[in-house]
Amino acid sequence: MAKKLGQHTVSRRNFLRIAAAGVGGIGAASLLSACGGIGAPSAPASSGDTEAPAQLGVAQETVEVWFWDDSLAAATPGFEKLHPNIKVDFKKLSYDDTHQKLLTSLAAGSGAPDVCALEIGKVGMFTNKGGLVDLTSGAFAEGAKYKADMVEYKWVQGSTSDGRLIAMPWDVGPAAVWYRVDKFEAAGLETDPEKLQEMVQTWDDWMEIGRKLKAATPQTSIMADAGTEIFTAMVEQQGHGWFRDGKVVIVEKGTPALEKAVEFRKNKIDADVPWWGADFQAAMQQGALGGMIIACWMQGGMTRDHPDTVGKWRIIRAPGGDFNWGGSFLSIPEQSKKQESAWKYLQYICCTAEGQNAIFKNSGVYPAYRPAWDDPIYDEPVPFYGGQRAFRIWLEISDKVPTNLVSPHDQEAGDIVGAEVTKAMKEGKDPAQAMKDAQETLLKQVPGLSA
Amino acid sequence: MATASIPSAKRTKNQELWHEIRRSFWPYLFISPFFILYAIFGLFPNVYALVLSFKEWDGLSEQRWVGFQNYIRLFQDEIWWKAVFNTVWLMFGTLIPQLSLAFILAFILNSGYIRFKDAFRTAFFTPVIASSVAMAIVFGALFGTRFGILNYLLSYVGIPPIDWLGSAMWIKPAIALLVIWRWTGYNTIIYLAGLQSIPSDLYEAAKVDGAKQRDIFWHITLPLMRPVITFTVILSIIGSLQLFEEPLLLTAGSAGGSSTSPGGTDQAGLTTLMYIYNASFQYVKFGYGSAMSFALFVLIFGFSFFYNRFLGRNLTD
Repeated sequence: MAKKLGQHTVSRRNFLRIAAAGVGGIGAASLLSACGGIGAPSAPASSGDTEAPAQLGVAQETVEVWFWDDSLAAATPGFEKLHPNIKVDFKKLSYDDTHQKLLTSLAAGSGAPDVCALEIGKVGMFTNKGGLVDLTSGAFAEGAKYKADMVEYKWVQGSTSDGRLIAMPWDVGPAAVWYRVDKFEAAGLETDPEKLQEMVQTWDDWMEIGRKLKAATPQTSIMADAGTEIFTAMVEQQGHGWFRDGKVVIVEKGTPALEKAVEFRKNKIDADVPWWGADFQAAMQQGALGGMIIACWMQGGMTRDHPDTVGKWRIIRAPGGDFNWGGSFLSIPEQSKKQESAWKYLQYICCTAEGQNAIFKNSGVYPAYRPAWDDPIYDEPVPFYGGQRAFRIWLEISDKVPTNLVSPHDQEAGDIVGAEVTKAMKEGKDPAQAMKDAQETLLKQVPGLSA
Repeated sequence: MATASIPSAKRTKNQELWHEIRRSFWPYLFISPFFILYAIFGLFPNVYALVLSFKEWDGLSEQRWVGFQNYIRLFQDEIWWKAVFNTVWLMFGTLIPQLSLAFILAFILNSGYIRFKDAFRTAFFTPVIASSVAMAIVFGALFGTRFGILNYLLSYVGIPPIDWLGSAMWIKPAIALLVIWRWTGYNTIIYLAGLQSIPSDLYEAAKVDGAKQRDIFWHITLPLMRPVITFTVILSIIGSLQLFEEPLLLTAGSAGGSSTSPGGTDQAGLTTLMYIYNASFQYVKFGYGSAMSFALFVLIFGFSFFYNRFLGRNLTD
């Protein structure tokens, strides 16, 4: 799901950035593919064959929609059937282009689509400014009623500090601890997810299992890169991002996370292989990774790039709390002249079980809209996870993710922290000092912030 | 336009100008597309960026005039100076090997000892037009720490694996290798063209006079090639100070943090243009990004001027 690729996370975003720049990236192919369908190959309805039978005499209106992945198109036929006088013009842009062109057209005052998707890593860019309608007031007042139906953290992420909702939650990116049953079996470790879940209460427990895995099968590590996986997990378990109540909390959130990640590295628990690159793909290919900590969308990438691992993965919930990694929103620009139709479309996608599940069944994009979860599909055993009823687990995780407001400086903070994390992970810098330096750098870079 | 003006005491300066324009209406009309396009796509953006560099703007909110604040910040910005250092390092690290290698290759190709010249020429030039995606995948596989081909080869001579893309120390050499691989062929073609434009009677005359192959190279080939060399050096200075694609390709997937580390570990592969791009389009600080662009312009101008003034010209004279 290319759209989740972008996360506030590191390299993924970079990849998209590259791909977007038309420059490509190491392993870009696999990244982009990460959005591949969960089960059915995505057969997006192109706008060409979705010409709903227009009612004679009723004026047709076309709603232009921007998004960076085909998955959204899966809901178009259902919507056009329901609203025969509205046509959906789905424009697939790159991840970076979607956000940048939206920003440009908002600045220019024209050129924006009627509905535009935003990713969690980019929502912050739009929160402090005008340009996107508040989906809970005026003509959109009824949007407020969806608050109770949406997973809480997503609603907060789409909101501004002054209480407007500029981005309607669409999908979630629940993350968990993954492991490979075949590798665990070979090492004589517990393989049943429920029993393992009970054994793993803290990250230290997982480190212990990683140590045993490596001791029994020296070629296999329990994760690729603790600096990405342990660090992200422990930071996001405290809520998204580096700001809380307008204050910078890099030292507070980052220090324990980075210390733990360094401990994993020093004990040689992780493979020290960077995510997303050619080395990662090679490590996966050779079975050097017996586990990983990542979000639900990785299922698509694994199915496509490493089909031999399908059926061998299981998930358990992360020790120390559930967390989120990625996910998107839909927004309506103020300059749109078809806001009424756009609003109907947005509601269909984000706030109906029909729209959300049409997309889930096609591409495995997990709905943030809770009523959609009643569909029996979520209780089915999933072959990818060897029959584990993982869909339901992912939904349960997303319901427990801690909330936090996004900030316009999310990305810059993330980059600055990322640079310090590499120093600690690769060059042996003291983790506490690294996070202190990151906080100081951010305060220097963005005048007006306080810690 | 060599239209002679007709001096007239009666006309004011304005009238004179107007008269001139009318006289040369058609020529001006025919060359006007360039000026119109340049004004729209060249002049306006540049002037606007210059104005923007004195402002603070996030793309959506009101622009705010901040005077020289962006430039002052620039001087105190450690990341900027790190990026400048990286970029200048990469300039020296790529320019000299790349141009020497290109010259040697061109000389061999031109020497007459080689068959299938066209095939070689094409082969050398291919990297220039190679797709970046393919390049990224190939070099990712080359530079991989654990599963990379380069480290595999090194292991044969007993060298332990090098963390090419993950360590602050090796990322710059890795980028430099990619740049050299990519642009050597380009310069080879330019040198080859230069070598071929040297009249062969000069060589013949030298040979008749009993000059040795080495003397011919030092006293005929090299002096006559100097304008070409100057040209490639200036081009390479400009190109390497604006390095963007290559470092991005190699550092994008290698960051070790939960958040990006643009430019890889310790930002050791972050170039000025990458930082400008991030500041402008990722952190939406368009004013600051513009200020950095002009600082980069000064840097490029400085290096080019320095070379031209003190090295290039002396050699050609």
